[in-house]
Amino acid sequence: MTIEFFFFLLINGVAQGMLLFVIASGLSLVFGVLRVINFAHGSLYMIGAFLSCSLASLLAGASFLHFLLLLALVPPVVALLGFCVEITLFRRIYRREHLMQLLLTYALVLIFDDVVRLVWGGDIRSVVRPDLLAGSVEIMGLFLPSYNVFILIVGPIIALALWLLLYRTRAGNLIRAAVSFPQMLSALGVNVSALMTATFMLGCWLAGFGGVLMSGLATIDLGIGMEKIIECFAVVVIGGLGSVGGALLGAVIIGVGSSFIQVPLSRLAIVFPFIVMALVLIIRPWGLFGKPER
Amino acid sequence: MPGSTSGKMQQIAVAVVLATLFGLPFLLAQLGSKGEFWIWVTTEMIIMALFAVSLNLIMGFGGMVSFGHAAFFGTGAYVVALLMKKAGFGFVPALIIAPVAAAIVAAIIGWFCVRLTGLYFSILTLAFGQLLYLVVFQAYSFTGGDDGIHGIPKPEILTPVNYYLLCLVIFLLCFVLMRMLINSCFGLTIRAIRENPERARFLGVNDRRYQLLNFIIAGSFAGLAGGLFTELNRFAQTEFLHWSKSAEPILSSLVGGMFSLVGPAIGSTVLIFLKITIQQIHKNLVEVWAIILGVILLVVVLFAPEGLVGLYQKLRQRNVKS
Amino acid sequence: MAHTILKVEDLHKSFGGNKVLSGVNFTVEEGELSSIIGPNGAGKTTLFNLITGLHVPTRGAIFFQGKNIAGNQPHEVVRLGIAKAFQITSIFPRLSVMDNVLAALVSHQKRNSNLLTPISRLKDVHDQAYRLLESVGLADKAFQQSGTLAHGNQKRLDIALALALEPKLLMLDEPTAGMSPEERRETVKLVQRLWEQLKITMLFIEHDMDIVFGISQKVRVLCYGVLIAEGPPAEISKDKKVIEVYLGEEL
Repeated sequence: MTIEFFFFLLINGVAQGMLLFVIASGLSLVFGVLRVINFAHGSLYMIGAFLSCSLASLLAGASFLHFLLLLALVPPVVALLGFCVEITLFRRIYRREHLMQLLLTYALVLIFDDVVRLVWGGDIRSVVRPDLLAGSVEIMGLFLPSYNVFILIVGPIIALALWLLLYRTRAGNLIRAAVSFPQMLSALGVNVSALMTATFMLGCWLAGFGGVLMSGLATIDLGIGMEKIIECFAVVVIGGLGSVGGALLGAVIIGVGSSFIQVPLSRLAIVFPFIVMALVLIIRPWGLFGKPER
Repeated sequence: MPGSTSGKMQQIAVAVVLATLFGLPFLLAQLGSKGEFWIWVTTEMIIMALFAVSLNLIMGFGGMVSFGHAAFFGTGAYVVALLMKKAGFGFVPALIIAPVAAAIVAAIIGWFCVRLTGLYFSILTLAFGQLLYLVVFQAYSFTGGDDGIHGIPKPEILTPVNYYLLCLVIFLLCFVLMRMLINSCFGLTIRAIRENPERARFLGVNDRRYQLLNFIIAGSFAGLAGGLFTELNRFAQTEFLHWSKSAEPILSSLVGGMFSLVGPAIGSTVLIFLKITIQQIHKNLVEVWAIILGVILLVVVLFAPEGLVGLYQKLRQRNVKS
Repeated sequence: MAHTILKVEDLHKSFGGNKVLSGVNFTVEEGELSSIIGPNGAGKTTLFNLITGLHVPTRGAIFFQGKNIAGNQPHEVVRLGIAKAFQITSIFPRLSVMDNVLAALVSHQKRNSNLLTPISRLKDVHDQAYRLLESVGLADKAFQQSGTLAHGNQKRLDIALALALEPKLLMLDEPTAGMSPEERRETVKLVQRLWEQLKITMLFIEHDMDIVFGISQKVRVLCYGVLIAEGPPAEISKDKKVIEVYLGEEL
């Protein structure tokens, strides 16, 4: 393996990881604040991807501006869908046991995935890449796909934005407080249900944003929702639920690992997240960032 | 506290139900081709009832929600398909090996999964279930991938009526076995672990070991169901391993009632009946079956989580009080 | 001639940077009914948790009948003969009272792996369960769902579960916590009666001084992770260090 190839795989892996981070951070935040693990997070991401494809063909243009439009318009729609789901369904189950919450979001997966199939059909959608990002770009002697470089720029921007939100705004402080000290919040006079709705919408926005990014990266089919939620689970097994920093680390590990494992075992690249999960569970069942029970 | 009248009533009810179940295929056989269709449907109901009850060992009695139970069902199905179609095995040996193979798969998957509890356990079962699906999907040369395995031989003696009876007998045997399991010391231990795993540990119970054993037992019954299913349809497909297949027993347990053994069987039968009815009303409605399942699950979770059996018990208690 | 059943030697425990126990030493004689008291945060529950295997000591040893059990897993400690009744009652809520006790007995008799024999056939276990329920005064509630019991009764069940294990050492973590004065008296009577009948070693944590000085043979005072006094109740109530710690509280 040449050193160029190594860096090629590494950078592509990090790009994949960044994309996964955008999506998984949404899942992690929602769990941290609402204490609900949203199985349907993958479905929402998929809806974002399919919406992006449809909107792209509607806009009928391949300029970068068109793509920015997709990034701007689609995630809020997904967030709005999340808002509807939260106020009609989630609110009823916050006090129920985890089993019931799990089953509720599972029901949503059944519904959403089938709705997507009905609305968009079973065909594979082609990639929605703007011309500007279609080719490759030369950076330090390496030829990298321009789109991956784009993700490498956008991903950290999102990460930074999230960090600023969580650590530099009042809303963010409330979110972090909700993650660590849920009982305190209502005592402080905070409108807890508004906070939960807002966090959920943020999580859905991130899922939708990830969906748009994915629509430009690879072809879209009906299986990507389930595929992504499992990858997200691998991320939170590694990084711990509720930790955005953990999600970043976990996502990059999964991304880079999947990238490298393609070399010896291309067909098994898809199982890399499972291998990681299995390994983490044998060695450190409480996750890399968690604490052992004893 | 069983009074002698209600105990006797129960016995009579059971006898009536059994008589109906055994007599049904002969009745349906009189109805010609429509009858054959319904014999096929009722056989499927019995097999899927076995599948649903097997999940409930883990879910209702064990307190652990598994989203990957189809992995064991599918293993049983493919083992029977492969052994009969590609290795020339007879039906009986293949059917015996199916639950054994499923038990092995359950042991491997279960070993990883029981290391976690609650949420993480469920996530992992989903992941491993999907992993198996992907592996089988990709192994085209061996399993036929997306196409599946077709044209599985069926011995002549297994006419529709005879196959129905075979499945019924197997189901009843398994049901009795599972009942004994639940009422045994092992069953009590599993239920105690469900209620309070920490306290169980403080009673000297190695909770992980017993949950794994329970998982394996449930998996073998699912594998048996899968083997029966594949012989009924004479094909095996990757759908049998898909995560949406895992949804069926979950739904059956919830609709029928999670805390009894008969609840999932009732739930499963109701759901299949519903599906057939919908098919009759409007062919295209079956297209949205997953949505219908999802909506039913939503309604049950929100308004009736104790299921049909639970509702029945509530009504009975109300009658007793008044 | 009583001999030592439990010996805690130079026990230290830190959680992260927080030092909870700093070199605790004491012994418990067989058949003793003794208590551990101390202000909140003294480390009493942590001490219990180290003995029962919930946590691993940072340093030190715990000898039970001569064998060092420090670091053992909870279910191993149970098998060696130490049982704990919980501060926050820990029972099996959706199981009946009878099933709760049966579960404990089945586990103690290592019959958990019995896959097929129905429990209803095991007459000897049922008899034992009834006797146990009678000894804690719950026999009439045998078929009630344990989660629906009154708080005081749930405590009794909790103790019954611990007793089902035929322990050599029974540890009770604040057995009267959250109880009305009436319930407290009942529980104290129960504990005393059980001790007299069963002649097992009992060690309990308590805040209620009346109880502590009422029935303990020996009192140990823990303060900020250190044992500051040990002795019969009469001595302890006069000990200067102890009085300082409980400034203002009536002994």
